[in-house]
Amino acid sequence: MDLLVPAGSAFGLIGPNGAGKTTFIKSVLGIVRPTAGTVRVLGGSPEDPAIRARIGYLPERLHLPGTWKAPAFLATVARLKGLKPDASALLRLLERVGLSDAVDRKIGGYSKGMRQRLGLAAALLGDPALLVLDEPTDGIDPMGRLEVRRILQEEVRRGVTLFLNSHLLAETERVCDRVAILADGRVLREGRLEELARGGARWRVRFAPGAEASALLAAGFVPGDTDAQLLKGATPGAQADGAREGVYLVEATDVAVLNAALDRARASGALLMELRREGADLEAVLLGAVGSSPGVAA
Amino acid sequence: MNPVFVIAGYVLREAASRKFILAFMVGLTLVLATVALSLKLEVVDGALAATRLFGEVVRANITSVDVALRPIFRAAAYLVFYGGILFGIVACSDFAPGLLSPGRIEHLLALPLQRWHLLAGTFVGVMTLALGGTVYAAGGLTLIFGVKTGYWTLGPLVAGGLACVGFAAVYAVMLTTATLVRSAALCAAAGFVLLVGGILAGFRADVSRYLEAGVGRTSFDAVTLVLPRLSALATGAADLASSTPLKPDSLGMLLGGVLVFGLGALAVGFWHFEGKDC
Repeated sequence: MDLLVPAGSAFGLIGPNGAGKTTFIKSVLGIVRPTAGTVRVLGGSPEDPAIRARIGYLPERLHLPGTWKAPAFLATVARLKGLKPDASALLRLLERVGLSDAVDRKIGGYSKGMRQRLGLAAALLGDPALLVLDEPTDGIDPMGRLEVRRILQEEVRRGVTLFLNSHLLAETERVCDRVAILADGRVLREGRLEELARGGARWRVRFAPGAEASALLAAGFVPGDTDAQLLKGATPGAQADGAREGVYLVEATDVAVLNAALDRARASGALLMELRREGADLEAVLLGAVGSSPGVAA
Repeated sequence: MNPVFVIAGYVLREAASRKFILAFMVGLTLVLATVALSLKLEVVDGALAATRLFGEVVRANITSVDVALRPIFRAAAYLVFYGGILFGIVACSDFAPGLLSPGRIEHLLALPLQRWHLLAGTFVGVMTLALGGTVYAAGGLTLIFGVKTGYWTLGPLVAGGLACVGFAAVYAVMLTTATLVRSAALCAAAGFVLLVGGILAGFRADVSRYLEAGVGRTSFDAVTLVLPRLSALATGAADLASSTPLKPDSLGMLLGGVLVFGLGALAVGFWHFEGKDC
């Protein structure tokens, strides 16, 4: 595989189980060594402790010492990162990840989500230049995910490079600007999210009830699926339902062609209610990429 | 702070949270307190005139204090040596497998450490624990008898130090085993096998005589040749504790052999862990 993660980007790694995502992350951190090829991180080798000192890592299944309290754990991690633990800074960090109420509790009594938050706090210690997070919101409740997402977005704005491996595609979609799809140890697709998710020249249009179907067909519009049908998947007669609800698709290679088609529709008396570019979400992109790759099971 | 000492602190903090280690320390304290409070030694002009335990006379003949205490210090040295190593094998068997367990080792290896820091830190932490326990037990005994009799000797403490050297060789094998298999049971088994092997190695010449000449005896001699002679070290520790003269150079050779074995075992573990994908 050949993958370049630009500095300062929020990069998402997605793929089916067994694709090699965690192994790839471990090779980025020097925990496993590649059988062939080279890994360069922050301009150096991941085997170099000086390089790893600039990386914050949250493993997929972080094992924490249950009898310790969070500040003691963070202080130890800080020392191992070569930092001098500052009690007030550690408390601020715990507050930032939403653990200020659990400072005096032993880690063994933490929920899975709280452990993830503590792991994230450990990864954030020392203001790393690169954050490598393996399933950071695993076990965290929806409100907590919002908080974690906010923290990650703050870090990216600060200039940190974020490398995110998450099964939650919606999360990857919201946080990352670049994505790579990994399957069977190979990069199937890689690029900016909007480029991967772009549907081409097709536009989805919704007209107000009463639009003349034959006139719209003559203007280049074809009946499309409603949003509800898209969620359920294609069913026989779906397009007829779409036409009844005023949902149509039109091919337009540029905005001039699109506006010309819309002018024709409006000339027939159709009133435009909604217009959006037909695009695929990350799930569709993943399924499309993995499904088209021989020998890979999604 | 040096990462080795941070990891050692990590191990010691883990140890402090183990209930059975705390229970052992409480038990040891109770034994020392019981001895201190129930044993009465009547010393007259450097001679032990009478010994009372819980008020009952257990010894009435007059003997020089240092001679009278010899069997006690000797027994204590054996107890600290073998008991300490056995307890250490059981109590410390899961420190290294725990540190190398999935979810913890990835996190540690992603930190700016060298791999050997992890093993060296674990080793230093465990040996600090062993040394602390030994000093507490042997030092407590020395203090109690010193105060009660006025006879002060460093023998039991030196014997405790030798027990720590013996345990260091055993734990080196346990640590190396942990880099091969992340199993506390197998680490403990490796330590126990080495302890038994080390006891046999100390009596190798005597045991070998009872084996029929041939492959069996040759194999026994070959295997026990490379093992640390722990039983001989235990005897040396007991001799030191009881102020019994040692054979010239015997202790130096013993210690040298045990240290070389321990360092060799550690080197194998470090080498294997350096090349291992976790």
